[in-house]
Amino acid sequence: MISLTNSRSNLSTAFSSQLNLLALLAICGSLLAAFYYQIAFNELPCPLCQLQRVALTLAGIGMLLNIRFGASNIHYAMILASALVGAATSMRQILLHIAPGDQGYGSALFGLHFYTWGFISFVVMMVFCALMLCIDRQPNKLSNRGTSGVIATGVIILFFALAAANTVSSVMVCQFGPCPDNPTQYLWKF
Amino acid sequence: MIMMLPFFTTLIAIGLAMRGLRQQAIGVWVISFVIFLVWMKFHMTDTLNISL
Repeated sequence: MISLTNSRSNLSTAFSSQLNLLALLAICGSLLAAFYYQIAFNELPCPLCQLQRVALTLAGIGMLLNIRFGASNIHYAMILASALVGAATSMRQILLHIAPGDQGYGSALFGLHFYTWGFISFVVMMVFCALMLCIDRQPNKLSNRGTSGVIATGVIILFFALAAANTVSSVMVCQFGPCPDNPTQYLWKF
Repeated sequence: MIMMLPFFTTLIAIGLAMRGLRQQAIGVWVISFVIFLVWMKFHMTDTLNISL
C-alpha cells in the first residue's frame, strides 16, 4: 500500500480514501451517539454541545472532500482547523464544570462526559491529520471522480442526513434565536 | 445568534461536495467556519465559575 518514491512516501489513492472514510464513519458514530442520548434520554444539547457538533461536521467535510476528490493539503487543513476550534470549545466546557461538587452536564459514557470525549476526539483528529500530512502526499491528483463503492456512498449519505437532522434539531431546541444555557425542553415541536 | 445557521451552511457545503462542486463547497465551509468563530465568541466569553 505504501510506496517510497524520491524519499517521499505516498499512500495509494484507494487506501487514503479508506482511511478518510473510516474517520468520517467515526464522526458519524459520534453524532449518532449524541442523537441517541438526546432522543432516548431527553438530554438536550447546550450551546457549547451544539458548537462541538458543528465542529465535528466541519471536520467531516474535509474528510468528505478527501474521499470525493482525492487527498489535498487544503482538505487536511480544513480538518485541522475544525479540530482546533472544536477542542477549544470542548476545553471551555470542561473548565466550566471543573469546580468541586459540579456534576457536569449530561450523562457520562465510560466515566467521561461527552464534552471530554469530544476533546479527546478532536485531539485524535489532529494526530490523524499530522500523520496523514506526512504520508498522504498526492499533489495535483485532484479529480471529480465521484465516490466509488456502496459503503463510501452510504457513509456520505449518512453524514448528510445527520447534518440535516442536526439543523432541524437546532431549530427545535433554540428556534431562531440564542440557545438557552441549560435547555430542558424543545422550544419548537412539530 | 441563530444556532441553526452554522448547521445549515455546513449542510449546504456537504450538498455541494456531494454534487462535485469542490470550490463552492470550500467557500461555504469558510463561511461556516467564520460563523462558528463568531458564535464561539458569543458563547465562550463569560466568566468561568472558578477561583484561581
